[in-house]
Amino acid sequence: MQKKNETQSNGLNTTNSIIAMDTQKTKKKKKFRGIENPYSGYLFAGPQIILFLVFIAYPVFEGFRMSLFEFSYSSEVFVGLENYKTLFADPVFIKSIFNTLIFVAAIVFFTIMFSLFVATAVYDKTSKYVSFIRGSYYLPVMVSMVVMSIIWNFLLNPANGLINYLMGNAGLENINLLGSTTWVMPVIIFVTFVGNVGQSIILYVASMIGIPEDYFEAAELDGATRWQRIRHILIPLVKPTTLYLVIINIIAVLKIFVVIQLLTGGGPNNASVTMMYYLYQNAFIYNNTGVAAAIGVMMFMIALLLAIPQFKTFGNKD
Amino acid sequence: MTFNKKFYSFAAAILSIGLLVSGCGDDTKDEAAGSGSTDEKVQLELWLTPQWKGVQDASEDGADYDSFFKKAAEDYTKENPNVAIDIQVIPGEERADKLSVAMQTKTLPDMFFDSAFALTEYAHAGILAPMDDIIDDESKKDIPETIWDNVQINDETYFYPFSHNPGTLAYNAEMFEKAGLDEYISGEYEIATWTPEEYEMILETLKEKLPDVSPMGLFAKNNQGDTWNLSYLTMFGNKIYDKDGQIVVNEENGVKALEYIKNLNDKELTTAGAETLSSNDVNAMFQNQQVAVSFTNSVLFNGILNDMENGVVNKFDLRLANIPGEKNPTSFTYVAGGAVFNTGTEAEVEASKDFVKFFSTDKELVKASKNSLPVRESVSKEASSELPYLEAYNKNSEYIFNFSNNTPGYAELRNAFFPELQAVFTDEKTPQEALDSFAENGNRIIDTNTEKSVILK
Repeated sequence: MQKKNETQSNGLNTTNSIIAMDTQKTKKKKKFRGIENPYSGYLFAGPQIILFLVFIAYPVFEGFRMSLFEFSYSSEVFVGLENYKTLFADPVFIKSIFNTLIFVAAIVFFTIMFSLFVATAVYDKTSKYVSFIRGSYYLPVMVSMVVMSIIWNFLLNPANGLINYLMGNAGLENINLLGSTTWVMPVIIFVTFVGNVGQSIILYVASMIGIPEDYFEAAELDGATRWQRIRHILIPLVKPTTLYLVIINIIAVLKIFVVIQLLTGGGPNNASVTMMYYLYQNAFIYNNTGVAAAIGVMMFMIALLLAIPQFKTFGNKD
Repeated sequence: MTFNKKFYSFAAAILSIGLLVSGCGDDTKDEAAGSGSTDEKVQLELWLTPQWKGVQDASEDGADYDSFFKKAAEDYTKENPNVAIDIQVIPGEERADKLSVAMQTKTLPDMFFDSAFALTEYAHAGILAPMDDIIDDESKKDIPETIWDNVQINDETYFYPFSHNPGTLAYNAEMFEKAGLDEYISGEYEIATWTPEEYEMILETLKEKLPDVSPMGLFAKNNQGDTWNLSYLTMFGNKIYDKDGQIVVNEENGVKALEYIKNLNDKELTTAGAETLSSNDVNAMFQNQQVAVSFTNSVLFNGILNDMENGVVNKFDLRLANIPGEKNPTSFTYVAGGAVFNTGTEAEVEASKDFVKFFSTDKELVKASKNSLPVRESVSKEASSELPYLEAYNKNSEYIFNFSNNTPGYAELRNAFFPELQAVFTDEKTPQEALDSFAENGNRIIDTNTEKSVILK
């Protein structure tokens, strides 16, 4: 009986191994055909990878390389870290780092705070109302920043702008907001904030509408107030959106340029100069390509330093 | 293992495709550059910033900024059928960006027509071809020395002067009449000359009698605030540069001049918020009769007169005045002309020079220089009946100073100047501190760029 069983199991084993071999053969045959091929994914990602390498990775690498050279039309001379030394000895550049960091901190803070406030206030209202609020705040995002800046320029014109006229009527004569070292930064922060905040509101509202009702019902049964629901359910559950918004806003504000170029030109007396504006001036006005590349490298580093902690938190599932 | 191997070989393949794509397209110009004989087809490109419309006159049918050069190219290619010329108009404010990108991507045009001061840095970069070999003795005599000074560096000529565009002040004579300042109004085709004391008194009277008008247009928002503001600093006889090309405007009389301007600003005799006003803002306000005395140059001035004729701007009695000076008035001029980049093939550079010579010397074509002011005395004489202001401008020519000094790094230098003015107008710095800081930064910029300059070595 035992023997028979052994023979039977042997027979089974043989059949199994034959089937396994057959499957392997079929697998082998199929391997380089069809979509089941495990490597076919790379083929789909291929075009994107090529674009990434050509338009992102290569320019970044080239930017690093260029920051170590001094350029003229016909030659490039290796100067080591000379471009960086020049920059750190330049008071305008130091001011530009300081200004850029202030812009990043203030604009990101106000954008997140204000959009959280608006989104938590409207997310559970009727859909028509939500659409109206979203549309109203999103309108400035759709308008080009160039157009916005030109309109603000008209409004803030010290000689015949509407804002100055109204302030004059209110007894505040001869106040030039863009010409004051105290006021120029708050004004630019406000202008950028207005043009920026709609995007965050849209994302927050979308994210909040997606949260299951059960949580709120349970909290309500437990007697939680609206503020407690917002504080302990809503805000923690939209954390991924917050992190995403913080990162994209940091990166966007680091590159702040158009508003500066059109509203203040970095003035008065470089009070509003930013790293991106200084990079532009070096690259396109002074033809100091190496110095401009060095600023670019430093902006890249700052963006990386600011974004890495956010990405790390992003990864945590808590 | 197999996966890793395959993955890496796949990644390597993609990387190499990427590098291939990024690496191609570099040497095409060099290949083309290999060709050489003069009978061969030569394709040239000329860029210009807007100067005047029409071939000779803005009233021609279809007159545009490129009309003159299209006509010149047509005439030239009739005699030189192997040459083809493309004309492209570049907005003045995009000049630096366009040229910078073209320089970095090695796609510079063959020729550029513009104000010489805006292109001197390209001469210093060693990419403009000297033109002394195409300038004949007749032209040398026909064009005055002050004009040649503006286009020469180290005794070599980098621009063929075509026309010039003197900078002065303009004023609304009707406002002067209303304010009872009739005695300070000059003749219709004259340039009024006032001393700094008279000028201050004029502005004070205007302020008193016409409270809704800003007496003087002042601007320092961006780098356009260089020429007139630098000229104001010479009011009390100070020079901007010494004979070695170093900035010396922080000397006693330079500081006195900036104190004078600051005083006008403090007394609200200038446009409010000059630190954030651009020249365009002030010019618009002047045309809208919100400013009594403003800046102008001959092209701008003729433009306003034309706009008044065409009903674009409400008519008013527009006249010219000099930038006041204690002893003599101050004057400057933008010399416009053709420059040739030496970055093409030998055939291209030669043909470009020949074309620049053609439109700068052709008897008919040079008459177009009357749209601003002719640099050639022969054209001035011929066109004097059509140029009522010519005599007045010619009288002024002895007061002309070269505001850029053709200095290396002028683009950077003018960007170091206006922030200092802003600091003075916003009470952040005293005039002495601001000019000391400008001299220090400016001389550093000049020294660095002198070292970099290819033609000063």
